[in-house]
Amino acid sequence: MSVAADRTTAPRYLEAFEAARREEPAWLAERRRLAIERFSLLGFPTTKDEEYKYTNLARIARGEWRPGSGGSLQPDALAAATYEGLEGPRIVFVDGRFDPERSTLSELPEGLEATSLAALLATAPDALEGHLTRYADFEGRALTALNTAFFEDGAFIRVAEKAVIAEPLQVVFVATGDAGTVTWPRVLIHAGRQSQVQVIETYISAAEGAHWTNSVTEIVGEDAARVEHFQVQQESVEAFHTGRVEMLEERSGYISTISLVLGAALTRNDVRITLDDEGCECALDGLVVISGKQHVDHHTLIDHAKAHCNSHQLYKGVLDGSSRGVFNGKIIVRQDAQKTDAIQNNKNLLLSTKAEIDTKPQLEIDANDVRCTHGATIGQLDKDALFYLQARGIGAGEARSLLVYAFAADLLERITVEPLKRHLERLLMRSLGRDSAAQEVSE
Amino acid sequence: MLEVKNLKVRVEEREILKGISLSVKPGEVHAIMGPNGSGKSTFAGVLAGREGYEITGGSVTYLGQDLLELDPEVRAREGIFLAFQYPVEIPGVSNMYFLRAALNAVRKHRGEEELDAVEFIALVKERMKKLKMDDAMLKRAVNQGFSGGEKKRNEIFQMAVLEPKLAILDETDSGLDIDALKLVADGVNSLRSPDRSMIVVTHYQRLLDYIVPDYVHVLAHGRIVKSGDKHLALELEKKGYAWVEQLAASGEMVTV
Ligand SMILES: Nc1ncnc2c1ncn2[C@@H]1O[C@H](COP(=O)(O)OP(=O)(O)OP(=O)(O)O)[C@@H](O)[C@H]1O
Ligand SMILES: [Mg+2]
Repeated sequence: MSVAADRTTAPRYLEAFEAARREEPAWLAERRRLAIERFSLLGFPTTKDEEYKYTNLARIARGEWRPGSGGSLQPDALAAATYEGLEGPRIVFVDGRFDPERSTLSELPEGLEATSLAALLATAPDALEGHLTRYADFEGRALTALNTAFFEDGAFIRVAEKAVIAEPLQVVFVATGDAGTVTWPRVLIHAGRQSQVQVIETYISAAEGAHWTNSVTEIVGEDAARVEHFQVQQESVEAFHTGRVEMLEERSGYISTISLVLGAALTRNDVRITLDDEGCECALDGLVVISGKQHVDHHTLIDHAKAHCNSHQLYKGVLDGSSRGVFNGKIIVRQDAQKTDAIQNNKNLLLSTKAEIDTKPQLEIDANDVRCTHGATIGQLDKDALFYLQARGIGAGEARSLLVYAFAADLLERITVEPLKRHLERLLMRSLGRDSAAQEVSE
Repeated sequence: MLEVKNLKVRVEEREILKGISLSVKPGEVHAIMGPNGSGKSTFAGVLAGREGYEITGGSVTYLGQDLLELDPEVRAREGIFLAFQYPVEIPGVSNMYFLRAALNAVRKHRGEEELDAVEFIALVKERMKKLKMDDAMLKRAVNQGFSGGEKKRNEIFQMAVLEPKLAILDETDSGLDIDALKLVADGVNSLRSPDRSMIVVTHYQRLLDYIVPDYVHVLAHGRIVKSGDKHLALELEKKGYAWVEQLAASGEMVTV
């Protein structure tokens, strides 16, 4: 019992858990029971917990949350999650529940399975056993424990051995967004040996309420699998978003994940990967573009468990207004992980004197023949560059946008799905009061 | 075109320009020479609208308007062009995008149609050829990784594209070898016209062999201590800046 936790509302969760009736395999029921017990012990973390020093979850902890109703949506509710020029299959969830009408899964390419977890649990749960809830541990993790206890549905994505999926798959979570509602999105991506896939996970709100999303995504790549994962969070600026991405790579695998955060009042993302065998590579990237009173906290962990693995990390923040960013990047290099090559970079652009960023690398290195580099920068717009642009006739506002765009350009280059990249370019320009042919800037 | 009267400027509590007067008529080329730290770049920066200067006295009238009232981008659109002594590197923004945004901002201000990508490329390619510049540079980020000479040439190239009314070249010759200097001078000379004026800031007389000025002014300690025609540059070359220091000390002021 430490002060680093707030258990005031824990009994309410336990009650809700007891009241729920689910038809599901015994192994999952057992996991859930462990999870809710764990949560009851843990409670919500407070700012006394070192891991949450800068991120105050009190408004979530004290909230009385009810499940989203999944009620009716406007016909254009998915507009914000539609990336012009991107066709491909799409699996949609409204308030965390599968919405077959809005999903387009009829022509899935060979080797790709994308289904509702709930449907699969009811019909053929065997594919999930040993995977679902097995990667994202909840020992000391209250939020993951809650998701595990309460998720009703979510996406299961399975890529068959050697299948190379050409078109990106989209997973969309729409919250109806009424104030006081909570959703528990859950995703499991299981990429078979030597398979290849791109998955875009998008979170949006249909209304501007103070709702809460608490998501968990598990990704496992078997030997030499290649997974490119993108997470776009563009929820209501009133919303709370807590998310966990837990990844595991087997021999010679490659996983990249890019966390793109523009929405929510408060965001806390825990992005973690274990490089569990030799020859793995991973890229954990992020772009945060916030203003007003928004708060975004990224806690990342790269666990180099075995030798000859490379990890790259580039997190960039563009902070305006009195917004606040937190980046905590932990890299563990275990004794066996010789010849590890880890690069971490966190770069921040503060557009206002009231914006703030706390950035901290954390390296724990137990091997002696490794290369780990890290760096963090915090800067303002370059005044000389601004004047140079203005001296050529470019207006002050446009000059600012151009420099912000330029700051984010190398990160945007890492978004290999062109329509998504263009979407973000437009958002970036718009968030800075500019909406023109952004993609030409760097051409 | 440009009328500067008794301009006084402070930078961080220090008076840098101590009463400069200069009158530039359409078509004229004025050279401003002077030792390091005499205030040449400060003068150029004030005209272009750089921030950080406190104007404590005097006035600047450009085409009948109070120039000091205008934002830098408006000055540029109104035809003022500063070729920077130290051009700025802007990673992530291509020359192509930058220059097109600039040109279209200027054209829009003049009530002209904006150029589309195809028209724009045709225009820049033609101008680049004159300055013997490689097209590949268009795709590169503004000035990033450019050599000193390339940066200077890029300034003149931008000037050729933007076609200003009043060009201020701040030591565009420094860092150039003789071949590059000739190219740059040719570029500048091809832009000379009866309604385009230029202020050429330079340290050395050499540039003025190629860009022949109508007037030469010598600036020292924030004052124009001597003005004359192109022969003044030669005299200065011969006598050295020590002579200027003496002039400044004696308070003597010679105008044409
Ligand atoms: N931003 C500034 N802050 C402080 N001092 C400045 C600033 N800009 C110029 N100065 C000072 O003003 C004086 C004039 O500088 P300026 O750059 O105008 O000289 P210059 O004649 O262009 O010299 P150079 O031949 O070296 O280019 C110098 O003493 C310089 O140190
Ligand atoms: Mg100078």
